[in-house]
Amino acid sequence: MKEINELILPDNLLYAEDHEWVKREGENATIGISDYAQDRLGDVVFVELPEIGDVFNKGDEFGSIESVKAVSDLYMPIGGEIVEINESLADAPENANNSPYEEGWMIKVKISDSAQLKALMDKDTYIKQLEG
Amino acid sequence: MIKKTPLYNWHKSAKANLAQFGGYKMPLWYPEGVKKEHMAVITKAGIFDTSHMAVITLKGAQAFDLLQKTFTKNLSECSNFQKEPLKNGQCVYGIFLNEKGETIDDSVVYRFEKNQFMIVVNAGMGALISKHLKKNSNGFDCKIEDLTDKIGKIDIQGINSAKILLPLLNNGDKVFENLKYFTFKGSFLPESSVVLKDGSSILLSRTGYTGEFGFEIFMQSENLVKVWEMLIEAGKDFELTPCGLAARDSLRAGAMLPLSHQDIGGWKFINNPWIFALPYNKEKTGFTKDFIGKKALSDIQIKEYTYPFAGYNLRKVPSSSDVYDHNKEKIGTVLTCATDMATDRKEDKIFCITSNEKTVPKGLSCGFVKVCKKLNYGDKVILSDNKRKIKAEIVKDIRPSRTARINIKGLL
Repeated sequence: MKEINELILPDNLLYAEDHEWVKREGENATIGISDYAQDRLGDVVFVELPEIGDVFNKGDEFGSIESVKAVSDLYMPIGGEIVEINESLADAPENANNSPYEEGWMIKVKISDSAQLKALMDKDTYIKQLEG
Repeated sequence: MIKKTPLYNWHKSAKANLAQFGGYKMPLWYPEGVKKEHMAVITKAGIFDTSHMAVITLKGAQAFDLLQKTFTKNLSECSNFQKEPLKNGQCVYGIFLNEKGETIDDSVVYRFEKNQFMIVVNAGMGALISKHLKKNSNGFDCKIEDLTDKIGKIDIQGINSAKILLPLLNNGDKVFENLKYFTFKGSFLPESSVVLKDGSSILLSRTGYTGEFGFEIFMQSENLVKVWEMLIEAGKDFELTPCGLAARDSLRAGAMLPLSHQDIGGWKFINNPWIFALPYNKEKTGFTKDFIGKKALSDIQIKEYTYPFAGYNLRKVPSSSDVYDHNKEKIGTVLTCATDMATDRKEDKIFCITSNEKTVPKGLSCGFVKVCKKLNYGDKVILSDNKRKIKAEIVKDIRPSRTARINIKGLL
């Protein structure tokens, strides 16, 4: 188990309470799960993702992630329309463990309301939440 | 209060993911991950800290009578196909039931001598089972002692286990002689017949909870860290991998072994894959002894059935998901659903990574369902938590080519 100071948490990302991360790129955002989430889940064996064109509100379940031990749901940290999904996770779900911020990204969305980004945490606030 | 085993600091410095289980803080997996740990046990060897399990000893002229009354196996005729009594150095799996025929806990009972037995039960169950035994031994000549905090246990499982252990044992060749599945040698007392090179007394049992070849090693708690480190060192040449509770769970599910309080529990222990633990007569029409729970299990109206299932890929549903039959009728609940990463299907037939198939298995979901109607092997069911649905087949067995019963001679 990684100690909090051993977690990789990039500065340029926003973090949600349910341990998703968001990277804004203009009017779109890329979403995945944090190093903390992958460490606690253990070996990821399957990632279920939505379809391109699906529209979700903030807090909606957009997919699920299965580790050897458990099945967990994935929640939208912001609302938006799915514009791209990471299809490589179908063959290499372990990328969610090995590379949560690069090869392990999950979805790209067209942001419905950029004000929702303000409710997300920066790295330092997220660390405070993890420290409980 | 959360308890820790003597190996807690070792697990911590090995960066294990720790979680609470049975009142203890235990490793779920180590940094290399559950999948590698699961595979290591099936192809090489894995080592588990199982000191959270509870150990009770029974001594006295009526220890046997107390077990006959409270434990489901008939110790007068359970040791092999010849229906002989349990002998010194043999152990047997069975259940402690209440009067309603419900499982209090499952257990392995060891016979040291005619009047001396050891009971191994699950984490946190030592006090409860001791109490149950005391309650039912009024006037019996039998001393019941809960040794849980004094005894530690390490499981080493997988085909390389014997090779790893051999050089650590005094007279190892002799110790391994005739050490068949469900037999044991030695004890955790100083006068043990099985002693490690450093002088530690051990009870070496040819048992486990993975379905694979291996041992459970009992010892005094203070020797636990020392013995663990000796095994880790000796295991370096044999790809021995430390394993946590998650791999233990997926291995046992594939091996069709129940998890107490999940697959067996507060419902009648009957119509399940483990009724070999009941003292049925040859015709399966009645029981060969009196025991607590007998009356409740003699009721022929019990319409609850537990079956093993295997999925068609590695996708799972959470425990307590619903079970639907082919008519989409809800018929029961999922007890366990785990992924056995070493198995897969080829033309519908389940194979294991050790089955000599050319294909690398991707994993299969498997576990147990409890349903309200009789099913047959091969029947298809749907498991669903209302979000995801998986197709599963009721099966007689899950992971093939298991090594638990293999002859030890071939592995040295």
